Amino acid sequence: MNSDHDQHSIGISAIEYALPEHCMALQELAVAGRLDSPAERLGEFGFEKIHVSTEPAETLAWQAVEKLMRNYAVAAGSVSAILYAGAIPSSHLIGGTTEAFLNGFNYPVARLQYEFGLLNATVAGISQVGCLGLMTAVKWASDFLVANPEARSVLCVSADVFPPQAKREMIYNVISDGACALLVERGAGTNRIVAQRQITKGYYWDSIGRQNEIVAAYFPTARHIVSDTLAAAGIESGDLAWIIPHNVSLRSWEILLGLLGLPREKLFSDNIATKGHVIAADNFINLKDATDNGRFRRGDKLLLFNFGFGANWGCLILEH
Amino acid sequence: MKHTVLMTGATGAMGGPLLKTLRSSGTIGRIYVLARHNAPELRASNAEVLRADLSTLDICPTDVTAILHAAADTRFSAPLDTARATNLEGTRCLLRFAKRCPHLKQLVFLSTVHVAGRRAGPVLETELDHEAGFVNAYEQSKYEAEQLLRSRMGALPIAVYRLSTILGDSRTGEVGKPGGIHQALRFFYHSLAPMIPGRPDSPVDLIALDYAVAAVAHLFCQGFVAGRTLHICGGRETLPLAELLDLTYTCFLRDRPAWRKRAIEKPAVVDLATFDLFARSVEQIGDSSLRQRSPNSSTIPVARKR
Repeated sequence: MNSDHDQHSIGISAIEYALPEHCMALQELAVAGRLDSPAERLGEFGFEKIHVSTEPAETLAWQAVEKLMRNYAVAAGSVSAILYAGAIPSSHLIGGTTEAFLNGFNYPVARLQYEFGLLNATVAGISQVGCLGLMTAVKWASDFLVANPEARSVLCVSADVFPPQAKREMIYNVISDGACALLVERGAGTNRIVAQRQITKGYYWDSIGRQNEIVAAYFPTARHIVSDTLAAAGIESGDLAWIIPHNVSLRSWEILLGLLGLPREKLFSDNIATKGHVIAADNFINLKDATDNGRFRRGDKLLLFNFGFGANWGCLILEH
Repeated sequence: MKHTVLMTGATGAMGGPLLKTLRSSGTIGRIYVLARHNAPELRASNAEVLRADLSTLDICPTDVTAILHAAADTRFSAPLDTARATNLEGTRCLLRFAKRCPHLKQLVFLSTVHVAGRRAGPVLETELDHEAGFVNAYEQSKYEAEQLLRSRMGALPIAVYRLSTILGDSRTGEVGKPGGIHQALRFFYHSLAPMIPGRPDSPVDLIALDYAVAAVAHLFCQGFVAGRTLHICGGRETLPLAELLDLTYTCFLRDRPAWRKRAIEKPAVVDLATFDLFARSVEQIGDSSLRQRSPNSSTIPVARKR
């Protein structure tokens, strides 16, 4: 099989996430004025409830990283880089917003590096790709490991918390706060990266002004990138064992599966109703949960697809 | 002997060029054209303009030997009553007039291949009746007009020419009157066409205006056979949907360099169930999400209905 990183055997060896305990059902959100559409209608799109945080994004990020380091016994010295993704600007600042100019340099990624003692890790933030941040981080981590043979692993983190009282509905989906941490590692024993593609279409940079155009571009571009990624992996859509989705509504997936000619049974959709759209983290939260629930067999080909405002489409094929 | 012609619809996208071609054919003598409004474009045609509509037509018809009925309400969005008023009742009025023409040799009705409505598979010229239903009132009203005409074919010399969808002039690219196909292309150009129901090999029958005009003029002047229904369409040269989209995409890239950097995708060709699910989703959620639109947003809505 022809693939992007065959010779490097790079994969995602560990995933953990942190979701706030507090949940709000659609009806509660409607009463609080945090939806645009009727709750019943969003229910038809596959949602039931979301997670809402009173803690800032960096706290959720810390919780996810702490679980990852502990549960997988990650040696601090083995991490060569940390990539921190946040879809909204406040996620990249400790404290969210600040009046003091110098506080604008208080980056959560630096604090993570310090608090977990990742002294060998260089750091960077990934923004301006919307909900594609964590998938972008995985791609750059993978490319980093290819380019740096001495490097062993890259820690990728995403965290986003919406401002208090912000609307939670955004073009067909309902949004949760949350964080996810994962390790992209050379010689990973699982989730080997077979192929990955991203497309950015700057014409759609104005997410409100070009909203209709984005909705219209979403599906054909999704089909395009999925097709390209399958070709890069040297496999057919029929070879896929599972589709690991973003949680941007079950309805959008029913439409996309129709476009792709893939059966509904291959979609891991357990989390859409109860976890909502956890911004950049969806695919990887779903990947972990499906793994923990024993859904995969060794060697299964998994397709992860995501979209981020900006506008960005991403697709990743893993071999479990 | 040259015909004396009564023509309706001479100010339409098809009727205008058709009148010009008939005038230059050398086989037509006098031409009366019906016009409900002042139509300055008819002055140059040397036609005799009758300011009337079909329901009030009271000229002495003794010299009329041929009628060409090209008037129609071609709007896909018209309600059935409105479409019927022109397409069915207008035809009924014309038939009443035709009965009063003692020297009438031929009556030609310009119809549409879309009288087939939602039928699938081959549709023969000899066929009309079906119970497959219609996509819009235009199709239904033209179908009903054809039924009416067929019922009178024993008494009057009637022929029906069913035209396919007219795209524009193949020589100049000019589009006289934009229709549904042009709206679809406009959606594609503006990145508002996510998907099209069909199969990649679904034929999309389109014809050029100049081809349609030449065919109708030829049949009207030299090939009239009473009782016949003919299809004027692309036939075997019809492009499959996927190829049509490819060609359109290539033309946009070639003729509009600024369009290239938008990186707009071709619409996906999907099955009807997928398309309907998408359309229903936009209907359900679209309006509420549009409340957030900014002042510089496009004024073109997402295509919601076929």
